[in-house]
Amino acid sequence: MNDVLLWLNDPQNWTGTRVTPGIVEQASAHLAYTAIALSIAGVIAFPLGLVLGHTGRASWLVSVANGLRALPTVGLLILLYVMVSPLISGRGDAVYLVPTEIALVLLALPAILANTYAGVRNVSPDARDAARGMGMTGRQVLFRVELPNALPLVFSGLRSAALQVIATATIAAYVGLGGLGRYVYDGLASRDFGQMAGGAVLVAALALLVDLALSLLQRATVSRGVSGRFSRRSTRDSRSAAVTVVRPEPPRGGPDGGPRPGQATTPAAALTPSGEHPSG
Amino acid sequence: MNRRIATALTGGTALLTALTACGESGSSSAGGGESTPAGGGDTIAAELVLGGPPEFQTRPDGVPGLEEVYGVSFGEFRSLDAGGPLTINALANGQIDAADVFTTDPNIAANDWVVLEDPENLFAAQNVVPLISTEEATDGVGAVLNAVSAELTTEDLISLNEQVIIDRQDPAAVAGQWLAEQGLDATGTQAAGADLTIGSANFPENITLANIYAQALQAQGATVQTQLNIGSREVYMPGLQDGSIDLIPEYTGVLLEYFDEEATAVSSEDVYAALPEALPENLTVLEQSEAEDKDAIVVTRETAEEYGLTSIADLAEQP
Amino acid sequence: MSSAAGSAPWDLFGYFADHRAEVLDLLWAHTWLSVLPVVIGLLVALPIGWLARRYRWAYPPVVSVSGLLYTIPSLALFVVMPTLLGTQILDPLNVVAALTLYTVALLVRVVADGLAAVPEDAVQAATAMGFTRLQRLRTVELPLAVPVIAAGLRVAMVANVSLVAIAATIGIPQLGQLFITGFQLSVTGPYYPPIVLGIVLSVALALLLDRSIVLGARLITPWQRVSAAR
Repeated sequence: MNDVLLWLNDPQNWTGTRVTPGIVEQASAHLAYTAIALSIAGVIAFPLGLVLGHTGRASWLVSVANGLRALPTVGLLILLYVMVSPLISGRGDAVYLVPTEIALVLLALPAILANTYAGVRNVSPDARDAARGMGMTGRQVLFRVELPNALPLVFSGLRSAALQVIATATIAAYVGLGGLGRYVYDGLASRDFGQMAGGAVLVAALALLVDLALSLLQRATVSRGVSGRFSRRSTRDSRSAAVTVVRPEPPRGGPDGGPRPGQATTPAAALTPSGEHPSG
Repeated sequence: MNRRIATALTGGTALLTALTACGESGSSSAGGGESTPAGGGDTIAAELVLGGPPEFQTRPDGVPGLEEVYGVSFGEFRSLDAGGPLTINALANGQIDAADVFTTDPNIAANDWVVLEDPENLFAAQNVVPLISTEEATDGVGAVLNAVSAELTTEDLISLNEQVIIDRQDPAAVAGQWLAEQGLDATGTQAAGADLTIGSANFPENITLANIYAQALQAQGATVQTQLNIGSREVYMPGLQDGSIDLIPEYTGVLLEYFDEEATAVSSEDVYAALPEALPENLTVLEQSEAEDKDAIVVTRETAEEYGLTSIADLAEQP
Repeated sequence: MSSAAGSAPWDLFGYFADHRAEVLDLLWAHTWLSVLPVVIGLLVALPIGWLARRYRWAYPPVVSVSGLLYTIPSLALFVVMPTLLGTQILDPLNVVAALTLYTVALLVRVVADGLAAVPEDAVQAATAMGFTRLQRLRTVELPLAVPVIAAGLRVAMVANVSLVAIAATIGIPQLGQLFITGFQLSVTGPYYPPIVLGIVLSVALALLLDRSIVLGARLITPWQRVSAAR
């Protein structure tokens, strides 16, 4: 434990030396790998989840994405590195970055897709019917009713994807990339326990920080009517009452029998309680 | 309601853009990429990127040793692996310009790379030697392994590596074939009664050597289990000390450095002579073989010709 | 003896034929390294989850501690285990212990949420019938929480199969070994067979174990089948 504190306390480890980058630089690199992977996965999975959830079609796609969770990330990373390495030459990180990002995107996809999909599917049919009754178009129903109600689940998907990606980006160092995983592998290789465990502590701290940031973003964007974060007096507010529909119910069916109308019936829902998955 | 969604989307996009932006500035330099090497004067080395195993950064005969002994400081160091696929591919594809590679690596000849001379003996001798737990080092086991060490040469190592790494043959088969060629495959009872677990590091040469030890001992009546491909020395050495494994093929120089960081011996004889003192009581080295696999700084033929490099010392000169 | 198979991805069958015994050993090791932590993890998580459900104040700390555990990179946890447990560094027990920690972290929350989702009517009916608290837990609440707990088990199981592979980078033999072997032989061009074989077997194992949990859960909750159209 002492070694860890000593290592974390050494200012040179934070600034780095002439030949090796310091913690600040490696942490921002780690964050960058994470941000790139989450952005790509989000751009693919979020709209797809919305559309699949709204139309209720092609739900097998969600199952396929969930199947991705079974892929061993180390194996995938090594496979991708081996495929890519003969193709990229010249200085720079590209040859290590490309395989890492593909592996991380595949890791983040299922959580975001499944949660967005389940979030939209879980919207109470009453709310949907009411919106239709008010004369909303399909698009309006999606953006004004389904999406706001799905946001808590979308965020929980994004947050669990972020946790997984940050923890897993550690193994990028195994194929020669930077990031905080560098300290775990370098510490292991040079018998520097403080460095190794210090690296692990930094990864955990980074994960917590990002989770905190995302939870603040969630607080700022999810309607209080949906999150239930409103004062007792405002419960009478007709607006919020109409949209409080995310029910605290088990992911599949429910103990009293089969699926309820309007509820997700694919394994997507079964995997939503927590899709976290620490790697690296 | 609409405004909320708009906030969410802008907020999310802003966060991601910010993260990506800050990331891009980080990623270009953190792994070591395009950043122009700074400092180190205008020597040849300052323009080059060196790659090697992570511990090369701190090893006395690694980056610090290059600086101290030759005044060579590379523009950048990239943590890769111990002469494994990362290092070899990186040198072949130009991610790095110079690499810490092992002299028995068949890729050196296959790629026509240049091994820089080491006139100051920065790298200590690295003769292959069986490292065994003292408890298991019976006369019988010793006799079998010493017979193996007596026959093993550096050329053998290169050829064994070529069969395993380039031709991708099974290490166990390659080991068996070598034993047969040396006439060491005769069955007997020299090591009867011995019961050992043989380990190996996670690189092909070591795996082949462990197979050679295992088959030689088995032929002489020993009961042998193998646990090959254990990670690096930092993982298997504790395994040897706590009894998870009993025997592993080692290299004299790194072994000495592992147990005695201040060791100064460089020649084969001196290193081997210093070993018994440095090793903990529960570990013993048997006789060393003439076969040697040492670190070397290797550059591509083009780099060598461009800068006129033949020795590590040349790297400290001006381009 | 020497592998005559080529280096294309589809040569995995040839590779398997050449290394049958070795690969099956790795598969078996991978199986128990993934399953054992889930079994132990469930046994540990049940009482903790129940406590977190029964004493509301315990829920938030339990959830945050388990969330925190999940942020520790598994490789680091594998390597730190010997210091914590006094085990040998190559002991597969380190992997089992580390993965058990993750499983407990995941399941505690699932168990608590699962128990929370049991309909109040069912609990009240059981109480009215004179069940003791333990009887009620065993015969009413736990069985009704099975679908939720099983969903959590599936996530833990699939995650474990993938995580075990990381232990190959520190020398614990299992399917991850095949990745390393393929990696090392990829210096003169990609050598796919062991890598692809490892991925295929690992995915197959994950899906198989996942299905067995689904089947197991269905077997012990016969009432679900009555109306469950899945």
